Amino acid sequence: MSISGGIIDCHIHPNADLGSTPEETAETLLRYADRMGIEMMGLSLGPIFHPQPTEEQIEADNTFNANIIALHPDRFFGYANINPNRLYHALSEISERIENGPFIGIKLWIAMCCTHPNLDPICERAAELGVPILQHTFLRPEGNLAGESSPADLVELAARHPDTTFIGAHTGFNWEQGAREFADQANIVADTCGGDPDMGFVETAVRWMGADRVLYGSDAGGRSFATQLAKVHGADISDADKEKILRTNAKRVLNL
Amino acid sequence: MIIDCNANLGQWPFRRTAYSTPDQLVERLARVQIDHAWVTSLDAVMLKDVTAANEPLAEAVADHTQLTAIGTVNPKWPAWGSDVEACAEQFGMPGVRVNPNYQSWTLEEPVFADLLAAARDLGLFVEIAVRMTDERHHHPLVMVPPVALSGLLANALEYSDVPIVVANAKNAEAGSVARDSGGDLPDNLFFELSHFESVGGVQSVAENIGVEHVLFGTHAPYFYPEAATLKVFDECDFSEADLEAITHANAERLLAGD
Amino acid sequence: MVIDCHVHVQGNWGTPDDRMGYLLEYADRLGIDRLCVSLGTSRDHEPDMDTIRESNDMVWEALEQHDRYIGFCYLNPCYLQGSLDEIERCIADGPFTGIKLWVAMLCDQPNLDPICERAAELGAPILQHTWMKITGNLPFESTPYHVASLARRHPDVDFILGHTGGNWEMGYRIVADIPNVYCEVAGGDPELGQTEMGVALCGADRIVYGSDAPGRSFASQIAKVRGADIADDDKAKILGGNMQRVLGL
Repeated sequence: MSISGGIIDCHIHPNADLGSTPEETAETLLRYADRMGIEMMGLSLGPIFHPQPTEEQIEADNTFNANIIALHPDRFFGYANINPNRLYHALSEISERIENGPFIGIKLWIAMCCTHPNLDPICERAAELGVPILQHTFLRPEGNLAGESSPADLVELAARHPDTTFIGAHTGFNWEQGAREFADQANIVADTCGGDPDMGFVETAVRWMGADRVLYGSDAGGRSFATQLAKVHGADISDADKEKILRTNAKRVLNL
Repeated sequence: MIIDCNANLGQWPFRRTAYSTPDQLVERLARVQIDHAWVTSLDAVMLKDVTAANEPLAEAVADHTQLTAIGTVNPKWPAWGSDVEACAEQFGMPGVRVNPNYQSWTLEEPVFADLLAAARDLGLFVEIAVRMTDERHHHPLVMVPPVALSGLLANALEYSDVPIVVANAKNAEAGSVARDSGGDLPDNLFFELSHFESVGGVQSVAENIGVEHVLFGTHAPYFYPEAATLKVFDECDFSEADLEAITHANAERLLAGD
Repeated sequence: MVIDCHVHVQGNWGTPDDRMGYLLEYADRLGIDRLCVSLGTSRDHEPDMDTIRESNDMVWEALEQHDRYIGFCYLNPCYLQGSLDEIERCIADGPFTGIKLWVAMLCDQPNLDPICERAAELGAPILQHTWMKITGNLPFESTPYHVASLARRHPDVDFILGHTGGNWEMGYRIVADIPNVYCEVAGGDPELGQTEMGVALCGADRIVYGSDAPGRSFASQIAKVRGADIADDDKAKILGGNMQRVLGL
């Protein structure tokens, strides 16, 4: 299928093996993105993933990603990394990196479970700025990591902040369950990234959440653009729905 | 007229059984004069999203008036209420089955009461499968204890207008619920007989729990359907009235909600 | 003739005669002519010789009252001389026909050899309980592997593989190439396919019907044969013909 405009990948990282400088990382990502018809990619985290990042690590990763965006502003956008355990620093990074640019969203990983009250001022600030929060969500059969949010945790947070838009990353990883958890919480959209290209992933997300609430993401460089795009390209859904998932939903949610 | 309240379609993950399609099952049950069967999906037991088996099951039996599809639901699964609704309204099923042991919940948890409340609203019966196969022969990586029936009686009394079917229970399991009830099982509680054993066992269980609580069931095609018919018609000497009750009248009363 | 190769006198109500009469009433309803009976009321896993003799006496009483019963003499091979003496008392000099072994000793042990040698001389078949429980066997509960080992050492004795190991999908395979082992269908759930697989792997001449009544229903167990997708000739062999040969009837 062809879509009007390129694909938007809402969820990538500048993993260290892609390159050691913003220039090298951008070049590697663009080489593969071009082959796959991906026009824009949303950056977060940094070359090394820090489960409990210090303020210095947060700032270094945000600067690294801002530099990539500065090199190719038409191909990359970014989410401000923050650690909600360091609330004042988190709020100052939001002001610094979003209000003053170039970031257009907030990334939350596993430093703190998202049901914690520290998230409230962050969500309020996101609503004021009109930017979405990309929250990692996972369901491990052996129990989630300390500080790792489940889809149900994100639903609880999203219910407290109806004016904020959340991207539920990985659809909870256990997507059969995650898509159902997210179904009734309208201010959550789900991304399809990470995990194996299990057949049925995107169909299930569309069935439970509607095609307007599903975003394509890859989790590159840890994952291949190809395996993750396959979830959408190979899905038994209409071409119109694929276009929403590959591009137009991201444009709407991220104000691109 | 014989109604088999416990037959299955599809494939059990740990054995390939014959007679797994609707045509084959209908023919096989007719061989022992079983006219009608309520069928659940063997595939549903080990699925994570158990409801994925419901629509295929409904479609599979659509062309067979001899079969009634019973959907499977998991009240621990997100948005399970919509699955129960789909069974009732979209697929026209009279009841839903649960496998609490394979779904990691117990009858003492609030989800069971929630399920009964939902079933009441939709006019469904709820069927609990105590086990699927003999615990001594489970796959070494999938050893699943049977469902403990504590909590069953209190909920049956609380939701007295929801028929509850207990499938694949052994003599002692049915007997313990009857004992807890002081010999007076609630009218809405039924036990299916495929796993009743011992010489004259069906009759002794029926005397113990009350014949009006016994439903005919085969657990075919995992079990030979002859096991149930030989137990009921040949080994035991039930009166004509008792045979009527066991083979279809109890099931019909259950469905009518009387 | 329909022969049930695996029935017990167990129970603690009435007299053994009462209990055996009760069993015959049910056996009649299912067309079972002869019943191989063993084990009295005791369910001691490692019975002493007094318990063994008491158990066999209970069966003896039944044999005197009802000519439809065939006696299997219960032994605990841990007591080797006692076992050999009991074989003389019950089989050589008494009305018993076969030997029943349960869970007192793993049946591949050397104590079994003199017992098997005497059984061969007397033409007595040995019914050895076997199970393979994923939940764990009893300490000295034999599996079909143990019977296979013993049966290969004693090709002149007919062994009846009790319950075919319970897990019959494995049991049949373990003994498939041992001609003096007969696979018994008794004692598990009436799972469809059990008898068909036995015929396919071991041949219809080596499958025998048994029930494990009264703990199991005659009906649920005979259903395994009556409901099987096999030839009527094969059903006749399994229901009685094979045991007639084994018992020399």
